[in-house]
Amino acid sequence: MKTIKLTHVFAAIIALLTITSCVQDDDFSTPDLTATDPVLDGEVISVSALRNLFLQEGETVDLTESTQYVEGFVISSDESGNWFEEIIIQDNATAPTAGVRILIDESPLFTYYEIGRKIFVKLGGLHLGESNGVLTLGVTNNLEKIPAPLQFDYIQRSATVETIVPVETTISNLSEDLENIFIKLTDVQFAKEEVIDQSLTYAGEPLDEFDGERTIFSCATEQTLILSTSTFANFKSIALPTGRGSISGVLTRNFFGEDFNLAINDRNDVVFDQAERCDPVEIDCGVADAAGSTILFEDFFETQATNSPISGNGWTNYQQEGSETWEAYSSGGQNASLGISARVGSFQSGDDATIAWLITPMLDLQANTGETLQFMTSNSFSDGSTLDLLFSSDWDGTEATIATATWDVLPAGVIVDDGDFFGDWIDSGIVDLSCIESNGYVAFRYSGSGDADFDGTFELDEIQINAN
Amino acid sequence: MKQFTLSLLCVFLAATAWSQTQIKGTVMDAITSEPLPDVTLRLEKSAAETMTNAMGVFVLNNLTQEGDQILLVLKNGFITKRLPIILTTGQTLNLDVITLDVDISAEQQQIGLISLSDNDLNSGDDDLGNFNVSGLLSAGRDAFLSAAAFDWSATFFRPRGLDNANGKVLINGIEMNKQFNGRPQWGNWGGLNDAQRNREFSQGLTPSEYSFGGLAGVTNIVMRASQEREGGRISYAAANASYQGRVMASYNSGLNGNGWAYSVLLARRFGEEGFQDGTLYDANSMYLSVEKKINDAHSLNFTGFYTPNRRGRATAITEEQFDLKGRTYNPFWGYQDGEKRNTREREIEEPVLMLNHYWTLSDKTTINSNLGYQFGSIKSGRVDNGSLRNPAPNYYQLLPSYALQDPNPTAYDFQNAYLLEQDFINDGQFDWNSLYQANANGGNSNIILQDDVIDDSQLSANVIINSQVTDAITIDGNVSYRGLKSENYAQVSDLLGGDGFLDIDNFSVSESQDGQDGDLAQSDVRNPNRVVVEGDRYKYNYDMDATVVSGFAQAQFTYNKVDFYVSGTASNTSYQRTGLYENGNFTGSRSFGPSEKLSFTNGGIKAGATYKLSGRHLIDVNAGYYSVAPGIRNSFSNARQNNDVVIGLESEQIQSVDASYIFRSPIVKGRLTGFYTGFQKGTDIGFFFTQNSIAGTEASFVQEVLTNVERRNIGAELGVEAQVLPTLKLKAAASVGQYTYANNPNIYYTSDDFEGPQTFGDGTTAIKDLHVAGGPERAYQLGFEYRDPEFWNFGLTVNYFSNSYLDFSNLARTANFNQDIDGQPFNDYDTDVARDLLRQTEIDDYFLVNIIGGKSWRVGDYFVGFFATVNNVLDETYITGGFEDSRRANYRSSLEEAQRDTPVFGDRLFFGRGTTYYVNAYVRF
Repeated sequence: MKTIKLTHVFAAIIALLTITSCVQDDDFSTPDLTATDPVLDGEVISVSALRNLFLQEGETVDLTESTQYVEGFVISSDESGNWFEEIIIQDNATAPTAGVRILIDESPLFTYYEIGRKIFVKLGGLHLGESNGVLTLGVTNNLEKIPAPLQFDYIQRSATVETIVPVETTISNLSEDLENIFIKLTDVQFAKEEVIDQSLTYAGEPLDEFDGERTIFSCATEQTLILSTSTFANFKSIALPTGRGSISGVLTRNFFGEDFNLAINDRNDVVFDQAERCDPVEIDCGVADAAGSTILFEDFFETQATNSPISGNGWTNYQQEGSETWEAYSSGGQNASLGISARVGSFQSGDDATIAWLITPMLDLQANTGETLQFMTSNSFSDGSTLDLLFSSDWDGTEATIATATWDVLPAGVIVDDGDFFGDWIDSGIVDLSCIESNGYVAFRYSGSGDADFDGTFELDEIQINAN
Repeated sequence: MKQFTLSLLCVFLAATAWSQTQIKGTVMDAITSEPLPDVTLRLEKSAAETMTNAMGVFVLNNLTQEGDQILLVLKNGFITKRLPIILTTGQTLNLDVITLDVDISAEQQQIGLISLSDNDLNSGDDDLGNFNVSGLLSAGRDAFLSAAAFDWSATFFRPRGLDNANGKVLINGIEMNKQFNGRPQWGNWGGLNDAQRNREFSQGLTPSEYSFGGLAGVTNIVMRASQEREGGRISYAAANASYQGRVMASYNSGLNGNGWAYSVLLARRFGEEGFQDGTLYDANSMYLSVEKKINDAHSLNFTGFYTPNRRGRATAITEEQFDLKGRTYNPFWGYQDGEKRNTREREIEEPVLMLNHYWTLSDKTTINSNLGYQFGSIKSGRVDNGSLRNPAPNYYQLLPSYALQDPNPTAYDFQNAYLLEQDFINDGQFDWNSLYQANANGGNSNIILQDDVIDDSQLSANVIINSQVTDAITIDGNVSYRGLKSENYAQVSDLLGGDGFLDIDNFSVSESQDGQDGDLAQSDVRNPNRVVVEGDRYKYNYDMDATVVSGFAQAQFTYNKVDFYVSGTASNTSYQRTGLYENGNFTGSRSFGPSEKLSFTNGGIKAGATYKLSGRHLIDVNAGYYSVAPGIRNSFSNARQNNDVVIGLESEQIQSVDASYIFRSPIVKGRLTGFYTGFQKGTDIGFFFTQNSIAGTEASFVQEVLTNVERRNIGAELGVEAQVLPTLKLKAAASVGQYTYANNPNIYYTSDDFEGPQTFGDGTTAIKDLHVAGGPERAYQLGFEYRDPEFWNFGLTVNYFSNSYLDFSNLARTANFNQDIDGQPFNDYDTDVARDLLRQTEIDDYFLVNIIGGKSWRVGDYFVGFFATVNNVLDETYITGGFEDSRRANYRSSLEEAQRDTPVFGDRLFFGRGTTYYVNAYVRF
């Protein structure tokens, strides 16, 4: 029985162990993921050609029969969570002329379509139209997301990855042509009420739903643009920087397609390298309980000729930019004037920029006490256009120096908000001017442009400046 | 059989005149004709007993009995023989040669053990899949235990509804149950089957010489060189259940003239995949035992074993996934380099070394001292997807139900559903390339593979005393110590192409007031924004120290009509966590440094009696009352992140009583048992992601802590077998139980997504009278075994299972269920509808048919054999268990789900295996 040598047994066993199949070990090599340029079976067109196709049709285009591809460079990234199930491409990495949004039911997308990656999108089977106010490629007439399983049927990657050079522009120059394009605004800051008066985060406030909307303020033109950040962005709870500098991002529109929005890819797109802000100086004496009995100046515009520029009564009516000016008008119905009122708006002006001033005669604030200001404002689709209430003590009264004089903001005066009903007239409140020690001028300054997003109308009336 | 007849003949012919009554003879292996040493021969209903010597010879002297008697011939691993004999006073009965047949059920038992270890290796983070095994180890003892072990274990059936942790497993007297969850880690001695033939099992509360034990008994596995059967054995098994092949070789020297014995075993189990797709199996087993018998009083034994194993895991799937992919579907794997790579591999390497000293003080008293050391690690792999969406191929948004979730789907939705369905059917597996792609942009990885690692080192020491004070009284006792240091951490195992990984909590980043630079997102604020590489610890890192000091004492009394025992135990258990990372969500001593030190003092008593109405009718009663310390797992509510101790943590209290009627006749043997067990002050912790609104937070990863849990297990067991022919045995078994919650336990929730512990309503969850999930409460078996004299056997069983229940969402049964986001009740809440939604799901009944067969031959000096089992012959599709998803568990979302054709977050189900086989061929010498 014990004739079998142990050594034989174990030799046999080791042989068995060796012969019997090995199990895949855990040592896997990194696969080769180098992209190669695809071979395409159709003509390749540019994004701007695609956009022209839409502009010609004016409505959603069914591309089902198309055999073409569109090529473009990716400019959005969902890596930080600020984009979701969409990518934006533009026609060139440098000096782009058109961009388009592509909806894909997949997340994440940046792992395949990183910023600068050139891609080809098969058009056959897609629809081209406007969704959320911007040019969009999707499926069906409702521009739905491309189903995830079809992602690679529609989109192919090129081996090319280029650096995207942002288009430097200003808020007043924004237009539909820049939609879906990676732009850069220089010398901007976040609005004072968002970062100085409060310290808001990108999108982490209790009232932020879906998106947090913050105001970018241009130091040069004092115009504003909404920065829109998803509440799913991983930087949503980070406080907005307080300084000043440049901000880059994709020009897009808000969910309703009404207003221009800028959307960044991540916080590195905000380069506020200067600490010093460019806030206009404010003169804030607060609000008075009652107006004095002495009238220093008043104009209810009832003597002005309608459809003519406001004139007389010491007014300076000045067009700094563009072709629009403060005019008298009279209107009934839902959007009624207060008898004859003054208004200004750049709607259909074609102006690149509109800046229109209406300035009172010099007010003697030294001699009087208890000075107050009252007025009424209303708006009609004011959008991105603004009306500012300003005061200057160093203006010399000539039009030539209006732009260079120091104009401080009177923040106590309530001016109609874009959200107010267009038919309503908003009372300014009794703006106290009594803390101002020098003589000077009160001005109403309108800023807008011919672009649909900045071409609102403001109406003004019942201006009264009193003293004790 | 022929030899049996022959030996009967001897009984009558071989009577020779002597002055005293005695029996003599030789016991041999029926197949090999080798003499068998250490065979016990006992005259039934008497204390007369002896053993065979090395030549297989025995003499039973000084007998006082006469007339018709039964001689029992017993040896471990062989079928017990009951020989009817006639004794004549003053005469010697020469039985000449008695042959014993190898108990093939020992082989069957091994199959059970194998599937057991395999199953345990396979069980994931879920509580299901850990069935109680105690019955397994005593299979063959009666028809019920044998059914429970071999035919019911595949269904998660748990005898008496008891968790694995209720049974103590000892190796050479040292307790092997893990302090983490109280369960034995079967993988630690997987593949050592040939070295584990010697087992001593005490069922239920019945007394063990080694330990006070638990509700489900005590198993002591003897792995001691001198006790292993001399000789060698080589076997090869092929299977398709857990693995594909197993080779095993062992050799045991037996005790040589110098008092040395050694025992060695090598085994390998392997498979690219088991029944479920992509479940690789890669396990090696090594065992060495050396024993020196110093003199008659002292023996010293060393035993060491090392069984590294690696296993690809599978998981529970929804009915939707099952419908599209079948029951072998496993979302954890995907192809890479043309190979199936599993994302969730578990690797266990925990070698055990022990020294055992056996001291025979006298022929009445033994002292056994043991020292054990276990070290090594358990690594459970998974994907850490950082801030990216879950890349699982069965992610809910990738399934057709997601596209069709709205009440009136559009054409686009239907198209999407179709595309998703086709994609899932044609692929549906993990996309490894997309992970590498996500890291391909250079720099840090966005997504990696990680291991959750438990590095344990445990020192055990105990002394066990057994003393036979009088013929009737035996005293047992022990004193034991266990000290565990457990390091717990996450470890980067594969960067998947990137250069490093930023160690921050991406879910906290967006909450962090100053972003990635802030504390909140930091795993360790003392080392912020670390970039970790492969092999580095990250995410969480803490030590757990646990110490148990315990003792037990027991007296057993044996009399003619009645046997009884009484046992008592006392223990002290202490735990302390030491945080090595200061977690950003829980700064300071909340997470860093030592926690409060927990200490639990417990004790208990148990007693029982067997009353022998006659040799054929016995009544057996056992009762116990004791408490057990909560496991480490249930003591700290979120040990990975902080030092928080479970609020209201207490030791669990247990009362149990069972009573059996046992019937034994030469033809029929049976047992009928009724049992009741009550549990109080239990604790349970769960972890999950939910979109139920908690404290105004609409999505949170929560820890759910139940305390003051009361349960009640009540039921009956029946096992009957009838040897209707010498070759044919019929058997029947049944278990009918009800395992329910007996109160509405306290429940609270914690999370780093909201403040403080949160409770709802009166702070309880309404689960009273719901069933504890875990296998069928009712199981029935009918079967037969045919054992041919020509050394082949065949058996078949038909098994029927019913009354198993899905685990339910505790959250849905709290007041949170009808709370809208503002904490007020939903304005459309309808109690009748709610009652329907909250009804516990019962799993469909099912039948399983299993067959077993084998044959053995003697070839020269070799003993060659094979046996095979085929389980679920009819390829029945059945569900073994599952659980409700707590992700959307409030009234409105449950109602929405109920109204969908296919729910988006359906119940997760474990499907049983289809037809599987196991064939083992072996050579013994």
